[in-house]
Amino acid sequence: MKRMILQICRLSLACLLALPTAQLLCAPAAAATASDETLILSKESLYNNIYVYRRGPYVSLTFGHNRTIYTESVCNTWDELELPVLYTQYMTVGLAYPPAVHSVLEIGFGGGRTSWYLHRTLPEVSVTTVELDGAVVDIAKQYFGIKEEHNFHIQNEDGRLFLTRSKEQYDLILLDAYRGPFVPFHLLTKEFYAVVKQHLKPGGVIVQNVEPSTMLFDSSVATMGSVFANMDFFRAEGNIVVVAYDGAARDPKQLAETARQRDAASHPRYYLTQLLAARQPYAAVRQAIAPGAKVLTDDFAPVEYLKAIENHNRKWPSVSQ
Amino acid sequence: MGSAVAAPLAAAVYGTAFAIGAVLMGFEMLGSRYIYPYFGGGIGTWAALISVVLLSLAIGYFTGGALTQRPRMLRKVALLFVIAAAYLALVPRCADPVMTGILDRFASGAVAQFSAAIALTLVPLSLLATLSPVAVAVLSASDARSGAVAGWVYGISTIGNILGVLVTTFVLVPFAGSRAITYGFAVIVAVCAATLGLAHRTYRM
Repeated sequence: MKRMILQICRLSLACLLALPTAQLLCAPAAAATASDETLILSKESLYNNIYVYRRGPYVSLTFGHNRTIYTESVCNTWDELELPVLYTQYMTVGLAYPPAVHSVLEIGFGGGRTSWYLHRTLPEVSVTTVELDGAVVDIAKQYFGIKEEHNFHIQNEDGRLFLTRSKEQYDLILLDAYRGPFVPFHLLTKEFYAVVKQHLKPGGVIVQNVEPSTMLFDSSVATMGSVFANMDFFRAEGNIVVVAYDGAARDPKQLAETARQRDAASHPRYYLTQLLAARQPYAAVRQAIAPGAKVLTDDFAPVEYLKAIENHNRKWPSVSQ
Repeated sequence: MGSAVAAPLAAAVYGTAFAIGAVLMGFEMLGSRYIYPYFGGGIGTWAALISVVLLSLAIGYFTGGALTQRPRMLRKVALLFVIAAAYLALVPRCADPVMTGILDRFASGAVAQFSAAIALTLVPLSLLATLSPVAVAVLSASDARSGAVAGWVYGISTIGNILGVLVTTFVLVPFAGSRAITYGFAVIVAVCAATLGLAHRTYRM
């Protein structure tokens, strides 16, 4: 019990500390950087203009496009288990779903916060993370204290290419490959999710970060729904985390029980039971998703066009308990 | 216009130069949609695509230049366009097995990206590029006019290029599938082939 209270205190403190940063982040909604941040590195990579800022103990990896800075990742250099960006906490909720968790794949390493958290929380689980931009990986290693070691592998490759060529299967696949304001269309199509599904072990799930302010959200949900039988939604401020899986819908009681057992076994910083409380099944949020949204395919995926149609009036229902 | 040949011939050749210019660059834009899912999206894909498209243009220009030294050049270009239209019409069905085959053979990286760009664009775009020198030759009634005609042909086909890029990216891709657009391009090339064939019959060029 004492441990639990301590955990809650730490969680609220972390939230409090993270608040100013998190607001900056409502990724990919752009925000100017605050004046008390110091630029410690700027680098033009093959894919991005990368700027690294420091603000107190927080180091953030950002991509600049035009005059806008898109925050990709924030790291507390004093506390590697803190996930200052709220949605990245919810990316870990997928741990409550598979029958067992032995291997995790992440497409879109970014600053590697989520994958490194999973690795440090569950050192016995094999974590593989795939990142297109090698410069991003180098910066995360230099500033975020991330290193390749037993059960933590970084692959420098296009995510879809990696999956097409890989024969491995995973219990959990995290998808978070937005790059600044750009959306790689080939990581959002029905064909892509079909490839992802082939790499799931029986009972495995995918966790996808989606940004709900445009019509691209509706099409992304429709596309996932065309490949996976079930979807659960977790709202995390400016982002929505979707857990999708095949087979029968999970019993909420069973999910909660698995979460409780796994919390007890590994004591994660962000308890699965607490994250799971925000769960909303598809049926509960259906009215917030445009009914006629088109499924994206390799042939037809107008992602830039859909992303240009804003939907700020989306009425997301609150969580019913 | 900048030439002193029969007006219908000039219209046919300039019109074709414009339409082919649009298809050329439109298909380059579509190339990225075909290549991304297999070989990833990024500057490497574009480097492969752009360099192979320019190589195709170079091959087409040399070949077209050679064609101008022989009789019945419009008829020859019309026949090359029929092949190009057929090739484009096969792309939507054949892209997946060909791209998968390249992926299996060369894995990833520059070799794979260049192979994919070559398989997709080299044949049809080389064939389409033969038109420019032939157009200059057909429309230049005298040596004195050839410079002016070359300027018109380049100008008009480049405006076609620009529209091909913009219309494909901002109008066609948002509202139609890449495969449907490719079929559309094949039809445009076929119509151009027919136009040039007709021009050949009438004017014996």
